[in-house]
Amino acid sequence: MVTTERVEAVLARVRPFIQADGGNIELIAVEGNSAAVRLTGRCAGCASAHMTLYLGVEMALREQMPEFGTLRLR
Amino acid sequence: MIAPTPPAPDVVVGRSARMRAVFEFLRVIGTSESTVLITGESGTGKEVTATLIHQGSRRRHRPFVAVSCALFSESLIESELFGHERGAFTGAIKDRPGRFEMADGGTLFLDDIDDVPLSMQVKLLRVLQNRTIERLGGTRTVPVNVRIIAGSKKNLQQMVADGKFREDLFYRLNVLPLTLPPLRERREDIPALMDYFIERYYRRKGDDVPPISEAVRQAFLRYRWPGNVRELENACERIAQMCSCGTVGIGCVAASVLLQSDGPLPELPAAAAPPPAEPPVFESAPTPAPPSLSQDAPISLDDRMRELEASLIGWALKVSHGNKSRAAELLQIKRSTLGDRINRCGLGHAASSAHDEHRVPTVAST
Repeated sequence: MVTTERVEAVLARVRPFIQADGGNIELIAVEGNSAAVRLTGRCAGCASAHMTLYLGVEMALREQMPEFGTLRLR
Repeated sequence: MIAPTPPAPDVVVGRSARMRAVFEFLRVIGTSESTVLITGESGTGKEVTATLIHQGSRRRHRPFVAVSCALFSESLIESELFGHERGAFTGAIKDRPGRFEMADGGTLFLDDIDDVPLSMQVKLLRVLQNRTIERLGGTRTVPVNVRIIAGSKKNLQQMVADGKFREDLFYRLNVLPLTLPPLRERREDIPALMDYFIERYYRRKGDDVPPISEAVRQAFLRYRWPGNVRELENACERIAQMCSCGTVGIGCVAASVLLQSDGPLPELPAAAAPPPAEPPVFESAPTPAPPSLSQDAPISLDDRMRELEASLIGWALKVSHGNKSRAAELLQIKRSTLGDRINRCGLGHAASSAHDEHRVPTVAST
């Protein structure tokens, strides 16, 4: 079951580092088995950062919740 | 006297107590010809260390041959190490020297010795005892002059206790034992290692070296690094390849480093505190690495005492700049006793070069 709490728990593991760099990763919505997040800060405009965080966070979400669908960046 | 070491292809970075003990060991064994057994997890730098030992030895102008004993199937190890004659087996179309012969006069690094099957261990033992080899399919006995350094991921003594490693071969190899600490046990070296590798990979690309954000440093300090220095090096190479932002930010760090999944973040040790300046002399007396054994594994008190003795003698010789009478005073033993102990520990050659500071292959952080 994909819930806001479980997604937040995963995001909370990377968030301190992103915040320390002056950015943030915010959960916008959980829709069914998928979630949408927004990346802000210095890394937000960087394509390679998007790829890194997107793939890494999605993988971690799926590790916690095998039924997890897709992570969308907005 | 010893000529300056030729430029090392690689260096060992670190100023932690654990690494200072390793450098101290390297310095003390100096030009010894004895067999060294290097134990350390994957990625802790066994081969780099073996290269440094070779370069510090009198064999440094002779070949250094490294061979992983895990790469080959059991039957191939023999042909790889000892070579074969033409026609020894299908496909043996010409004579081929083995690694022992290729390393003649130099140093042979037998890595992954813990992966050598028991049946092969007997043959290896015989070669190490007789210092002669026979090629597969050959009848000629070839004498070989090689200095052996063995590398092991696992604690061989434990493997002996479990019946997986021959006791006689273990004692043949365990003459000068060296344990390399995993990176998580020397976290205070992480910043220096980061700077070293980041600089290396940006320079290799021909780019300026960018500053590293504090968040990235924190992430590196907190990660467990199961793959040790090799993993950290790869993480730095990845950053150098991906990041062109001017400052290395968190977005360029592999997510696995940020998202370590094994429970709560480990406590940071004194890593955040500034590193001590030059350690006082006595502190640099080498403390032998504590046995990295599982709790109920047997340890040999005699071996440990010998290690301790060797490192304290090394310390005394260093402090006394190789003056044995002074060293004996420091240790509160007779000069003649010290001579006997030095010989017993195989430190004979190290003693004469104990003050050759430039031979310590280290890059300290600044």
